[in-house]
Amino acid sequence: MGIIVGYIATLGIYFCIYNILSIGLNIQFGYAGILDFTVITFMAIGGYMAGVASLGPEQPGSQIFYILGLSLPWPVALLIGATAAGLLGCAIGLIALRRLRSDYLAIVTLAAGSIIYGLVGNNSKIFDGFEGLVGVPQPFNGVLGLNPNSYALLFLGFAAVVMAVLWVAANRLRNSPLGRAMRATREDLEVAEAYGKNTYKLRMMAMVIGSVYVGVGGVLTIWYVTAMAPAGWGTSETFVVWAALIVGGVGSNGGAVIGSFLVAVLFNEVTRFLPGISSDPSLIPEVRNICIGALVILTLRFRPQGVMPERKARFPELPEASVRQEPAIVAEEV
Amino acid sequence: MGEAPLLEVDGIRKAFGGVLAVDGASFTVEAGTVTALIGPNGAGKSTAVGIIGGALAADEGRVGFRGDEITGLAPHRIARRGLIRTFQISREYPAMTVLENLMVSPMNQEGEKLATALLAHRRYRKQERELVLKALDVLADFGLYGMRDEYARNLSGGQKRLLELARSVMADPVMLILDEPMAGINPALVSHIGEHILRLREAGVSFLMVEHNLEVVERICDHVIVLAVGRTLARGTMAELRQNEAVVNAYLTGGGVDAGTAR
Repeated sequence: MGIIVGYIATLGIYFCIYNILSIGLNIQFGYAGILDFTVITFMAIGGYMAGVASLGPEQPGSQIFYILGLSLPWPVALLIGATAAGLLGCAIGLIALRRLRSDYLAIVTLAAGSIIYGLVGNNSKIFDGFEGLVGVPQPFNGVLGLNPNSYALLFLGFAAVVMAVLWVAANRLRNSPLGRAMRATREDLEVAEAYGKNTYKLRMMAMVIGSVYVGVGGVLTIWYVTAMAPAGWGTSETFVVWAALIVGGVGSNGGAVIGSFLVAVLFNEVTRFLPGISSDPSLIPEVRNICIGALVILTLRFRPQGVMPERKARFPELPEASVRQEPAIVAEEV
Repeated sequence: MGEAPLLEVDGIRKAFGGVLAVDGASFTVEAGTVTALIGPNGAGKSTAVGIIGGALAADEGRVGFRGDEITGLAPHRIARRGLIRTFQISREYPAMTVLENLMVSPMNQEGEKLATALLAHRRYRKQERELVLKALDVLADFGLYGMRDEYARNLSGGQKRLLELARSVMADPVMLILDEPMAGINPALVSHIGEHILRLREAGVSFLMVEHNLEVVERICDHVIVLAVGRTLARGTMAELRQNEAVVNAYLTGGGVDAGTAR
């Protein structure tokens, strides 16, 4: 019984994490049209920085090397992880957002992701290279001393609260004049600029906020798994987040939730826990990738707006009588 | 401001590679007028509009607006001074509703500040309501009220032209620069848009309008500026220009420039 509870709690936690990642991508791409092809790099930076902030100082004999090691409490570590991801988003934005059109911007994000992957993987002094960080302390766990299944449930609640806060903030942003201005830059950058919008600033905001979201997803990941290595954040993971957003509905936070459930939980994580086939251990992961790819293709072919499309903007209801409805100049034919 | 012109363009020059698109053009637009900018294809009209609006950087020359130099400012800074330009092809925000297209335009909305948007959404609610009311009024003026909740991409070509004007009005412009506002629409709508332009002029908006249709220019424009090969060839009323041999030649012959190579 306990193991099933733990399993479902784990799936729930992954759901929350992927949800945060895809809402972050939605803020970047769905709101502001920024093609971020290195989502998972922001997750890794957030996770790593929170990891080294909450880990103790590195032990000389342990052969595990990393920077900082500050033994900080979890709220501070969370803040550090989120800030680090935001700063990285800002740095990439500085390079890519001022002059580049969307397709070149996408190339810059992809390149930045590869550079950081190589840098972190090959330099064992920062985050212990390809070995990665292990034994990252979990919030509450030291204090409460729960068994793994109870802790999974507790962490699920924690992740759900974080997700809820981020969800509310993302929707407020979406419904605000700021979100509207971001959508205008997505629709036509040059026109938004000609109508007085500082498009560079708007897109930078979306880039940084999205990166912070993804960074927080990374912090939750490293806390729950207690470890993080470059193998876990390759390009294919970025694809899973993109697939979730595309299947769910670009521009729609509700779509991001549905997409995270369908793609990230149902296809990606559930199949991860299927018993391996001993004669061909790589079969299930490969079938999983085929399934996610096929789902994206089917969505784009038959329902390009996604399962739950971006909805039309709603405005405060006004009494009809207060609005003149007849045109100032009547056209014979329009 | 007194007698000073609203917009002063002084000796602007712009080359694309080996092509001199604008070669020292100078002209002014007086406040309260509708001024036409005409000339054969390749005369540099759109390039001049791009330079005035800040989308293109001039190689030389200066642009003044309401007495201040605006040369080289970012387009959004120029727009915030009340100078709004539209584009040659209708460029609505396709996946946003018609009403939303208008709601983007007002400058300096309270809810465009990040902290207000995230933490104090009640603070911008009042302004938002006022803007919605104004936008619905503007939509009614342009006969687009019934389309307010439709995606802008679903409008007809003519309606998109009207939307372009409507959302410009929402930005409370001092001056509008229209790049071929009547391209590709039927004659009835041409006169309809012309009436809207005159109505807005009465409301205090000044216009600079790139236009090829000389009948329209004659009917609604107070002044006409003729560009040819990147320079100002003549200016005056349409009636005066019809007597001007150089203008007639430029229009008939393309001003000696192969229209296919320069824009």
